[in-house]
Amino acid sequence: MTADAPLYSLAEIAAGASSPEAVPLSPQAVKVADLRRILQEKFPARPAPKEGYFRTGLESIDRERGLPRAAVTEICGSLGTGSLLIAALARAAHRARSFCALIDGGRSFDAFDLGQPVLKRLLWVLCDGAEQAVKAADLLLRDGNLPLILLDLQPLPAIQLRRIPASTWHRFHRVAEQGNAAFVVLTPRPMIEGARVRIAAESRWRLDAMIAPRRALIETLELKIFDRGMGKGIGGPEFVAALDRHLKAG
Amino acid sequence: MLFAALFLPRFSLQAVLRFRDDLRGKPVALVDDAASKGRVVEASGAARKWGVFEGMASTQAMARCAGLALLPRSIEQERVVEQILLEIAMSLSPGVERTAPGVCTVDLRGAQIPDRERWGADVVDRLGALHLEARLGMAGAPDLALLAARTAAPVLIVRDSLAFLAGRGVAEISSSPELLRILHDWGIRDLGGFARLPKSEVASRLGPEAVKIWEQAAGKSERLLKYVRPPELFEEVFEFEHEIETLEPLLFLLRRFIEQLSLRLQGAYRVASEMSLALPLENGESHARLFTIPSPTADVETLFRILHTHLDGRRLEHRPVALRLAMKAANPENRQLQIFENALRDPNRFGETLARLAALAGSDHVGTPQAGETHRPGSYRLLAPSFESDESTLLAEEPPERGIGLPLRRYRPPHPAKVALERSRPASVFSQPASGIVSGSFGPYRLSGEWWDAATWEAEEWDVELAGAGMYRLSRRGGEWTVEGCYD
Repeated sequence: MTADAPLYSLAEIAAGASSPEAVPLSPQAVKVADLRRILQEKFPARPAPKEGYFRTGLESIDRERGLPRAAVTEICGSLGTGSLLIAALARAAHRARSFCALIDGGRSFDAFDLGQPVLKRLLWVLCDGAEQAVKAADLLLRDGNLPLILLDLQPLPAIQLRRIPASTWHRFHRVAEQGNAAFVVLTPRPMIEGARVRIAAESRWRLDAMIAPRRALIETLELKIFDRGMGKGIGGPEFVAALDRHLKAG
Repeated sequence: MLFAALFLPRFSLQAVLRFRDDLRGKPVALVDDAASKGRVVEASGAARKWGVFEGMASTQAMARCAGLALLPRSIEQERVVEQILLEIAMSLSPGVERTAPGVCTVDLRGAQIPDRERWGADVVDRLGALHLEARLGMAGAPDLALLAARTAAPVLIVRDSLAFLAGRGVAEISSSPELLRILHDWGIRDLGGFARLPKSEVASRLGPEAVKIWEQAAGKSERLLKYVRPPELFEEVFEFEHEIETLEPLLFLLRRFIEQLSLRLQGAYRVASEMSLALPLENGESHARLFTIPSPTADVETLFRILHTHLDGRRLEHRPVALRLAMKAANPENRQLQIFENALRDPNRFGETLARLAALAGSDHVGTPQAGETHRPGSYRLLAPSFESDESTLLAEEPPERGIGLPLRRYRPPHPAKVALERSRPASVFSQPASGIVSGSFGPYRLSGEWWDAATWEAEEWDVELAGAGMYRLSRRGGEWTVEGCYD
């Protein structure tokens, strides 16, 4: 037996067999192998979890590896940073030589100072309310062609957002897992249960921001990142309460 | 020298029955009201067994066979079948003659065909895959090849023309009753006997027309083929017996059409870049739609999905009486992706998703934004997305972030506002999205444009900060104030 050769084949491990030269497996290891085999048989179509992050070019987000692909990211906060973030993410898609979609729930996007090369890589869907926006997001997520999908719900009235059933977000989690897109939802307050990453964006701009360079504004964006994948977020009601406290304090 | 003749027996009937699986093997007769009112033009083999023949009155045919299906002749479907026959013939040789309806003669001089029987069987199989029963004859002369094709089952290679002709009746190549009568009186029953007559005697006794037939009978006729160059037209047509009321039969037929067209495209090493669907309606109008295929393909599922997406849930005011589907052929794309390129994984699926998005949000609400050719604030237009990476966009540097200030989040449409002025500057704002005391403002920014046109416009804009309530853009046009959007 060479040094690189495995001591046991998977079948042998599963069967609990051992070769005369090898050290016998502990009963726990055999149980684990059994469990894995049973799971593999029971869920053969379960896709392997996809890894990968979409680099945004925003220091505070990229420090945490970026936006996770095949997952839902929620950027929440009252009006104050949404358009700036959308513009930054569209630029990031262009930088990555890929494409992105913006589902504009409130028909409020106005970023013609992005420049035509960036806009050429942007699919803009103007929707009439939350219901239509959610349907459009569903279509684009299932399409699986675009690596970055932005769903902007920030300007929509609370009454429309409350009408989105919680099951919608669970479905989006499942659909996003099947693909490889970074799905980013911009909301006015935390509302997506189980979002992989929540980013609290809260920047109170003053009038002098209107004469500041855009680059400087992006660099000074205040973003708090809660990544469930990194074990930093706790999710659930406690998380929402903490985030609410943070937003109110801001 | 070698010629092949492709022959479709009962051509008009085959054209009509191509998509009628329900009538295969059943007694069917074709009636052409335009040419011979109420008379049978062609009859299927099963109908012949019942004693139904060409030229018979349809009433007489029905009397002989109660289960006879009488169908009208379809010139459109015959045209499509003629096109298919030419396509197949053109794939064998560039020298093709459209000899007669349902007959093509192919010039195979110079072609290297080691196994002629197998080659012929392959050609017949290709036509069979397109639901056409064909016969193929190969011989050293065009007319002899046609004669062989007419009697082939389904492929006949003539190696010894005299032996082949010996057993054939003269009537197989001549329809002149006068000549047939004379030859019968002379005791000549077959082409072999006719060919043994001296040519000069035939010429002096029976005339020049008989000489042509003699040359055919002797396998010595050498005529020049009239080559045709048919237009590349991939089209299928079906005329319904009754108007269609539901989607299912339409989809069923569409799939069959796409399968056939895909086969034809693949036979020509081509793919479809556009599809044109037309549904002539009972009121004389037509529902027509052109589909551009983002990534040209001959894949049946992809092409069918595009049409299915379009027709699904669509309601027509009138019932369709026919179906026509045409495809524009293109060469397959042989493009190598570049190393840093992130092209769409499935452009056709993306095209379909765009169609669904357009159906959901409106076709004028989906696309790639482009600034309008005006300085009017908020002006834009949406272009059809073209997410194909090209050299220029790949190599284009990211435009530097030169913007100043925050991007605007527009209200579409703008909200009317009441604005109180103090020393000609906004002092307070009252509107649906934002109200309050103005704590700071920049402006006025005076804009105007298209003064040379009736659509002239003029506006005065202000950026204001409301105390503790964010920043907004105000606009004054003709004395009326609006809140254009908020800054975030």
